[in-house]
Amino acid sequence: MFVAKKSLSLALPKGKLLVDSVELLERAGIACREVLADERQLTFELPGHQMRIIVCRPTDIPTFVEYGAADLGFVGKDTIVEQAMDVAELVDLKFGYCRFVVAMPEETLPPRLQDGSFELRDLDRKRVATKFPRVAEQFFSAQGMQVTPIKLHGNIELAPKVGLAEMIVDIVSTGKTLKVNRLAEVAQIFEATSRLIANRVSYRLKHEDIQILAGLLRDVVAGER
Amino acid sequence: MRIAEGLRDLLPEELAFLEEKERSALSLFQAWSYRKVLTTGLEYGECVEPEMTRKGDLYKFFDREGQVLALRPEFTTPIARLVSSRLLPRALDGSMPFRLCYSGDVYRYGSGRYREFRQIGVELIGAAAELADAEVIALSIEMLLCLGLRDFRVSLGHIGVFADLADELVLEEALRKKLEVGLARKDVVGMNSLLASCVLPEKAKELVGLLPSLTGGAEVLERLRAFECFESVRRAAASLRAVYGFLEAFGVQEHVSIDLGILRGFAYYSGTIFEGYIPDVGFPILEGGRYDGLLEGFGQSAPATGFACNLETLLALGGQKPMPKPDAFVYGDSPEKVIRRCQSLRRAGKQVEMAVGPVDASSLLAADYCHDFEFVEPS
Repeated sequence: MFVAKKSLSLALPKGKLLVDSVELLERAGIACREVLADERQLTFELPGHQMRIIVCRPTDIPTFVEYGAADLGFVGKDTIVEQAMDVAELVDLKFGYCRFVVAMPEETLPPRLQDGSFELRDLDRKRVATKFPRVAEQFFSAQGMQVTPIKLHGNIELAPKVGLAEMIVDIVSTGKTLKVNRLAEVAQIFEATSRLIANRVSYRLKHEDIQILAGLLRDVVAGER
Repeated sequence: MRIAEGLRDLLPEELAFLEEKERSALSLFQAWSYRKVLTTGLEYGECVEPEMTRKGDLYKFFDREGQVLALRPEFTTPIARLVSSRLLPRALDGSMPFRLCYSGDVYRYGSGRYREFRQIGVELIGAAAELADAEVIALSIEMLLCLGLRDFRVSLGHIGVFADLADELVLEEALRKKLEVGLARKDVVGMNSLLASCVLPEKAKELVGLLPSLTGGAEVLERLRAFECFESVRRAAASLRAVYGFLEAFGVQEHVSIDLGILRGFAYYSGTIFEGYIPDVGFPILEGGRYDGLLEGFGQSAPATGFACNLETLLALGGQKPMPKPDAFVYGDSPEKVIRRCQSLRRAGKQVEMAVGPVDASSLLAADYCHDFEFVEPS
């Protein structure tokens, strides 16, 4: 059984990914089902493992970890990329799969190229509504294009309908929301899953503990435990 | 009244704490024969921009001639400029190497953390030997001890394990950049998928994939032996072994871990690199290493190594120093007499506070305000 030598703190995302997170930890031999019992409780001590679990908003996890308030965290790759925080990314945990896509209203789709993909050139200098302005900007500037990101905090699908933007960059898991709002994917930016991240000082000072835990999780994910 | 984001004022207790730490570190540097210098607060843009990625971090201005000036973001480059342009041209035989130290505020327009902070550090310029690396690393450890820190770690790595290996393998620029970013960010996931899909000798893939987790003591240096078929790795490993060995003689080896995953933003590092960490602080307290190529850009080249410590990190841990109470508080009805009494006490070396208005002696007494209250009789 895993017992940290120097006590480890691990930040887990509140919400739908919490169940997957706990499930994964349980399979790695870290009993922490109590985390799911009371959603108002935000910290949990696991004295048997010399661990403490912190539950917080998914987008806040990189902040907790970067400042060292948590040694480790489970967080989506989407959040890591958008926030560009300085944390070590150790294991692909494989759950929480989603894709970053560019989507547009079905009636204004760009022409298709021979290989079936969309011609994006005409999207240059257009406005893009998104929760992830950095991701959007990086994607388009890598194509030699410049777009105007418009940062929104939710219901991105609304923006093209009311003329706030010509397109959106968002994460989709099933694509249902896009369909309901008569939007279609025109390009995939990248795929994201949850990752184990570590504070870079903890990674040094608690290296042994972190390596062992990362190894356990890696084995579980690979189906070897 | 607001102050600009990322900046802060220091109150007497904080400043006294900071300056006490600063003084003790500077006197340690002096004991190791490092002489203090001060470079200009504003530099021409090109004197502080060896690294493109840092550009966004600079506070930049135009002077009246339209030239770009920047607030110094660190001291190593300005000191390289100073040494290359002022000291090296008139260096006498035997005056090398130069041992210089500094303490001052630096400015970085980065997000998060503080944008103005006190940096203290040393540069040892004109010595290429491993012994010079070891001296600077040992001094950094002595400094952490002298700052009152105990439970710290200094990680020691070598830029050549990756950078020179990449040269040796003639890595394609795009791949090199990606691996470098992956290593610096410790993006193990991204690196592994990159390594799986690229064309490299198996042995090199294995080593690069291992780098982020190659941490520990002498055994890490032993593990490197398996990769010494690469000339660059052999050289880096030999140099690390030499430095690590000297650190034992300095009596500081217990604080040092070998860590081959260190790779960092400033592109001027060229040999051994190191970082210091303290518990409960998420950022390194000190960073340093060898930068043999930096001076050349300013005219005269010389090998060099050094480190910088972010003194303000100690304040983040809640450091404060209580202010000393005055030795005497002097009051009375005749201002001239009070002045004379104060002056004579001050000449005797006392810390004296003079009443400049009506005095409520009982409340001062109750507050235990000073060691002694002195009432000066009017006649």
